[in-house]
Amino acid sequence: MIRHPLSWLIWAGCAAVLALTVRNPLYLTLIVLTTWLVYLGVADASLMAGSWRSLLKLGLFIWLITIPFNALMIHQGRIVLFALPAHWPLVGGPITLEAVLAGFVTGYALWTLLFIFATFNLAVDAAQLLRLAPPFLYHAGVVTSIALTFIPQMLASAREIREAQRIRGHRFRGWRDSLPLVMPLLTTSFERAVQLAESMDARGFGGELSGLSSRRQAKLRVLMVLSLFLFLAGMIVRIFWLDWSILGDLLILDAMLFMGYAFYDLGQHVRRSRYRRERWVLGDSAIALSSLAALVGVLLLRQSDPAHLLYSPYTAAGLLPAFSTPLGLLLMLLSVPGWVTLAEGVSQTDPAQGVGR
Amino acid sequence: MLREINLQIEPGTLVLVIGASGAGKSTLLRCLNGLVPHFYGGSISGLVRVAGENPIERQPRGMSRYVGLVFQDPETQFVVDTVEAELVFAMENHGVSQDTMRQRVEQVMAQLEISHLRNRRISTLSGGEKQRVALASVLTLEPQVLVLDEPTSQLDPQAADEVLQALQRLNRDLGLTIILSEHRLERVVGYADQVLYLPGDGTVHMGSPREMLAQIDQAPPLVALGRALGWTPLPLSIEEARAHLNGQGPERCITTASAPALGEVEIDVRDLWHAYDGHLALGGVDLSVRQGETVAIMGANGSGKTTLLKHLVGLLQPDRGTVQVGGLDTHRTSLEELIRVVGYVPQNPNALLFADTVQEELSFTRRNHGLDANTLPLGLLDALGIGPYVESYPRDLSVGERQRVALGAILAAEPRIILLDEPTRGVDRVQKEALMRYLAAERANGRTVVVSTHDVELVAETMDRMVILEQGRVLVDGPTRQVMAAHPAYASQISQLYGDGRCLTLGDVLGEAT
Repeated sequence: MIRHPLSWLIWAGCAAVLALTVRNPLYLTLIVLTTWLVYLGVADASLMAGSWRSLLKLGLFIWLITIPFNALMIHQGRIVLFALPAHWPLVGGPITLEAVLAGFVTGYALWTLLFIFATFNLAVDAAQLLRLAPPFLYHAGVVTSIALTFIPQMLASAREIREAQRIRGHRFRGWRDSLPLVMPLLTTSFERAVQLAESMDARGFGGELSGLSSRRQAKLRVLMVLSLFLFLAGMIVRIFWLDWSILGDLLILDAMLFMGYAFYDLGQHVRRSRYRRERWVLGDSAIALSSLAALVGVLLLRQSDPAHLLYSPYTAAGLLPAFSTPLGLLLMLLSVPGWVTLAEGVSQTDPAQGVGR
Repeated sequence: MLREINLQIEPGTLVLVIGASGAGKSTLLRCLNGLVPHFYGGSISGLVRVAGENPIERQPRGMSRYVGLVFQDPETQFVVDTVEAELVFAMENHGVSQDTMRQRVEQVMAQLEISHLRNRRISTLSGGEKQRVALASVLTLEPQVLVLDEPTSQLDPQAADEVLQALQRLNRDLGLTIILSEHRLERVVGYADQVLYLPGDGTVHMGSPREMLAQIDQAPPLVALGRALGWTPLPLSIEEARAHLNGQGPERCITTASAPALGEVEIDVRDLWHAYDGHLALGGVDLSVRQGETVAIMGANGSGKTTLLKHLVGLLQPDRGTVQVGGLDTHRTSLEELIRVVGYVPQNPNALLFADTVQEELSFTRRNHGLDANTLPLGLLDALGIGPYVESYPRDLSVGERQRVALGAILAAEPRIILLDEPTRGVDRVQKEALMRYLAAERANGRTVVVSTHDVELVAETMDRMVILEQGRVLVDGPTRQVMAAHPAYASQISQLYGDGRCLTLGDVLGEAT
């Protein structure tokens, strides 16, 4: 049985929101453990294991740099480990244990987020996500799914470039030394994107408009340009005139409505078909409901007692994080996809097998 | 790029488009589906009709029903990551009904013999399989014309044959018009009905393969031999050439090249094992290379050639076994020390090039090695033929030129040992000859050179020794002349013709004939 991509999307969305909401290392650990169980359910997608590991390594790197960054920038806290000269810009001042712990937890949350996305990436492929997009958002869906598949390719390119520069004797000592790594990566990625765009164009991506007069097409194009201008104007207002932020929001909302309408209208006049239609089965309902229950439950508990979810070593509450059993149980609901998949004895690794036939 | 072109191609013809890099082959091919001018820009005048449609009016999207375009690198044209989803991508975009899609998928998979790949992820396929999937993904729209831009340039000989045979079946069984460009003429000329030659001045010339190959400089060795010996008609295949031999056997061959003077052992690999994520890449490789030897590492894609080269430069460490290069154990020596002795040019020159000029690329390497960045090794620019481009932006150069700039960027550090990974991939004959001249000169100078390649002609011309890898193990290791005589799959055209180690190259034969 293959999971419906929407059920995976709901799980990943709920887990990601929770990872962003929670700053308590104990709850984060619970999210990691439940995600690990889900990973076990989809782990026979070992062909993607390389990119999964790469993403986790990237996450680890981010985690590790978050700790010194936080420790050097935030000088709050009572337990001083050592002090840097106060006249040093930004980093000067006491380096505290509280700041180190806060950096550790922030990095942990970021790594957890990447862990969730890496596991989601194993479970669902770009083509499945693409099929979820409603017809008028088809283009946006394709672009997003390609962007997702570009990440592992970019990591592979980065590795190749780093090796190539190392054998020329290049050593990374500071940001000035990044040029030999960044330039080839940017150029290679850009060239690949252009070649892919060419291939998609040559294969009829986007389809042909039918039953839409050229006048109407021109109107829709003008509408799209107008909505982009409105969006830009809204952003400028929001950034530079804080007192007028409501006007900015209105402009952005208008822009999105106009753009949505233009996409919808164009989508109605493009003939497109689907090869497969995924079926929503009982297991998908279990995944979606349990994930939503976890999210809603945690958010409700947060309303009643926000301190439980957060962990701040700077406060008087102390360095040890709090733990609430109901909250922990709610978070464990995120492991349901793992149980369901393991129970069915199959994993969501091969999206092409017998779906909707 | 192109001017005053008048050209008519009959339905069901297989046309081979040839010409040097930059002669306009890709531009011409992209005019057939409207990518030129709609995707690439530029100005165009005149009339183009393909399958009765005007590509300039219909644009690439509209032409995709009539013209299927397959690109050089299959990797860059896949939109989704499983075979079946890739096959239906174009059909879904054209609103083809579900039943028709299923029918066409089955049909195309059967035609290209890829049914067993249906559920595979594209990233797990071999090069030949990927290119056949790329072919299948455009064939599902049932185009009348199939256009291919150097479809075999990234493939090993066996994978290239698989793709070419598939094309021949499509042409013969379905009457599909096929237009393909290629640099390695010896691979494809036997399949072509017509040859379209672009000399580089914007014009095109079309005729039968024999007619066109009789006129151009880029002829494959067999045709060049036929021309030199006055054979009529010119042979396009080994069988045709044998008919001209008239009993003249290999006794007419003279080996003029002298064996190089070999020095001490420079590379010593003992029982080398390496695995990536549990997948065995090298399984007990032994290799010993002496100073002054030129060695070709050959084998199918995925046989472990690149992994072996990376071990020789210290980019990888053995799981088991030892690697000594220039007397240094790669396990105990830092990469910085190793690269003073050994220079490695990777497969993709783009991974190396970042600077604004060729000169800066070369200076960068010298600076990294603590050498004077303002001077270069004597004669390096001339030997590589990159002298005229020192002030050029490296990425504006052709593939072959970029390859030589990358080589220059490594050689600027004056290593004793050179390792080249697929140096002729996507390179035209003129560029390849420039590289061969350089390698021959280095061989004469006593430099140790190890090249990983699929290019048997390059090996026949410049390498003393061949090592064939198969699934991470050394299958054959011996002098080039001996190995080519015993293994026709890895032999040059001339060697296949005479079946004797004394005849590998045109020079071996014409040494006596001229």
